[in-house]
Amino acid sequence: MTVRTAPEPVVVDELITETADRLFGELCTHEAVQAAEDSGEAPDIWDAFCETGFDLIAVPEDAGGSGGTLAEAIEVLRLVGYHSAPIPAAENGILGGWLLAEAGLERPDGLVTVIPPRATEGGWSGGGACSVSLDGDGTAVLNGEAHRVPWARSAEAIVCVCECDGRTTVVSVPTSECTITPLPNMAGEPRDSVSFDGATGRAAPTPDGVDAGALAQRGALSRVALMAGAIEKMCQLTVSYTNERVQFGRPVARFQAVQQHLVWAAQDAALVRMAAEVAAREATRGDAPFEIAAAKLVANQAAARATKACHQAHGAMGMTQEYPLHHFSRRLWSWRKEYGSDAHWSAVLGEMATGVGADGLYPLITSGTAALG
Amino acid sequence: MRFTPTELTGPELDLQAEVREFLASELPPGTHEPCLGMAADHDREFSAKMAARGWVGMALPSRWGGSDRTAVQRFIVVEEMLRWGAPVGHHWVADRQTGNVILKFGTDEQRERFLPPICRGELGFSIGMSEPDSGSDLASVSTRAERADDGWVVNGTKIWTSNAHMNDWFICLLRTAPMEDGNKHAGLSQFLIDLRSPGLEISPIPFLDGSHHFNEVTFHDVFVPDINVVGQPGMGWHQNTTEMAYERGGPDRWLSPFSTVEQLLREAAGTPMEDAVSDLFGELAARWWGIRNLSLSVARLIDEGEAPSVESALVKEMGTRYEQEVVEKLVQLIDEEYSPESESLFERLLAQCVVTFPGNTIRGGTIEILRSVASKGLQGLPA
Repeated sequence: MTVRTAPEPVVVDELITETADRLFGELCTHEAVQAAEDSGEAPDIWDAFCETGFDLIAVPEDAGGSGGTLAEAIEVLRLVGYHSAPIPAAENGILGGWLLAEAGLERPDGLVTVIPPRATEGGWSGGGACSVSLDGDGTAVLNGEAHRVPWARSAEAIVCVCECDGRTTVVSVPTSECTITPLPNMAGEPRDSVSFDGATGRAAPTPDGVDAGALAQRGALSRVALMAGAIEKMCQLTVSYTNERVQFGRPVARFQAVQQHLVWAAQDAALVRMAAEVAAREATRGDAPFEIAAAKLVANQAAARATKACHQAHGAMGMTQEYPLHHFSRRLWSWRKEYGSDAHWSAVLGEMATGVGADGLYPLITSGTAALG
Repeated sequence: MRFTPTELTGPELDLQAEVREFLASELPPGTHEPCLGMAADHDREFSAKMAARGWVGMALPSRWGGSDRTAVQRFIVVEEMLRWGAPVGHHWVADRQTGNVILKFGTDEQRERFLPPICRGELGFSIGMSEPDSGSDLASVSTRAERADDGWVVNGTKIWTSNAHMNDWFICLLRTAPMEDGNKHAGLSQFLIDLRSPGLEISPIPFLDGSHHFNEVTFHDVFVPDINVVGQPGMGWHQNTTEMAYERGGPDRWLSPFSTVEQLLREAAGTPMEDAVSDLFGELAARWWGIRNLSLSVARLIDEGEAPSVESALVKEMGTRYEQEVVEKLVQLIDEEYSPESESLFERLLAQCVVTFPGNTIRGGTIEILRSVASKGLQGLPA
């Protein structure tokens, strides 16, 4: 007799995978991605992406979004990573779009980005290094600065979540109110500095469960998805290259020493994709603090190993701008440090693991967040 | 290659709970010295108790004494047994691979003779692959079986044979025709040999810590009847390769140090824990979560009729290296030397891990051979 029941399956429509893969495959050529890095923007790719409706996937339709599940949005992000699409898909949709929808704030026409929360001793803190004051009619006034804001230079509005007057509040500021200094990350993707000098925006309180910590979890999940795609593509490039490159009269992939790199990279690609998909499944069902933390830590560590293996297998060719490996490896080096370092997520997971105790440790591994009680 | 995420169904979760209850009542923590994974104690009584629940040979057909269960159900039982450090050594090989080989390639007579006692947890099997001059290059085996009336006469030596001194039967890869130029995979056959056959000599090869697992098994004109040939003479390589696939990618390849880690957490309870130790528990839980999901997806693929040989090789290569990484991280946490005779169970287990785990990346196919198998698969080449 069956006593226990499994949760409802979380299914991602195959059409989403096919459509996003085809779109990015056509648009995100090596040359197009390089051009976006050089100019700091890729408006054509962004516009084509918006035409599919994927820019607002998983944002509720009644909040101006395209609907769909978080798992579907994560699948799109995996393909963004796989094709190194130079667009702020996560910031506009499941991060910034989510905050606006949760707080009931109006979406501006155009791109939205978010100020990434920072990990502090006591948890996550939103809002960057700026102070926010509210007046009675929902107007917020910001002073200070925020750093590493993705694509701020291209955005219409910058969204953050912060504590104001003892309430967790979402603030949306038009970029016309801010001074933006363009800066790149290691992959040449925009991570701009923004200064606020009496900038005014709109503010609204958040429902329970929507705060800097929740944003950090969604941000971490978004990075795991991007990383899963990038590692998989990097791995495929490496298999192709080592089969074509001939030395000592045979493809270098025939050498055991090179096979080791191929196998290790393939394992990490499989591990991170699994982590992304399981974490997305659980986050679609509800809170998934264990799965997201575990996935980000696993992805961070895998990125370090896989970039090393793939570069080594490519030899000098992988060190050039003309060969596309760097689009993926440099993104991975950057993404592994966003939304929580190894040390941060190890500490979070360590609290969970020691909290459940010896008898609960294996159930935590098999059941994840559900075992936390 | 694709590892599709999967999760346990309601009945599978029930089975998991049932196994956990069984273990909590049979082997309460503190009452037994946990074993380190599949290199587990041989306990015929424990094997019989598991068999009484239908948990030995469980994926075999009920017609032959099995329970018609799935690869995922076997995965659930095995992972719980291993994480608990249960003494599953006696039935381990028969349950994991030999039963499957006999079902797939054996005659009905062999199925009738071997499968019901395997499923009752009665028969322990050893594996006869390696020889003094044949390790990773397994096809070069030279132990011969020569035709005789109603059977075969075997001469030669098998080596590194785990637990031949305790087991009942020996499944052996033997040469039945001379090696041909250009096709060393031809002329090999699989045999079931009674470990108490006249002329069969078992001598211990002490393990590096002095314990007795390994043996050398020498055949002096050992007679094996025709009814003990598995499958077609000459098809041994193909059958053996199939058998190896059952060996790979399961929880036995990544759970061996779990009981040691769990014991550290048990012994640390009630005292303030350094951040580095707490962080390590978090890190280990995360990696195990990831690897377990990959390994579980392999079991599900098998139930869907796939033959995930590349996926299995990838999981085994990664899992066994991870087992060693876990031990290294634990060693780095400890300030002082730890002893195999320590009063702390954790330290005893850790000492045993340090000394025995170098073998984890060797047994059942070295990781170098696994890399070769897996990378051919990644490149779309035949294995």
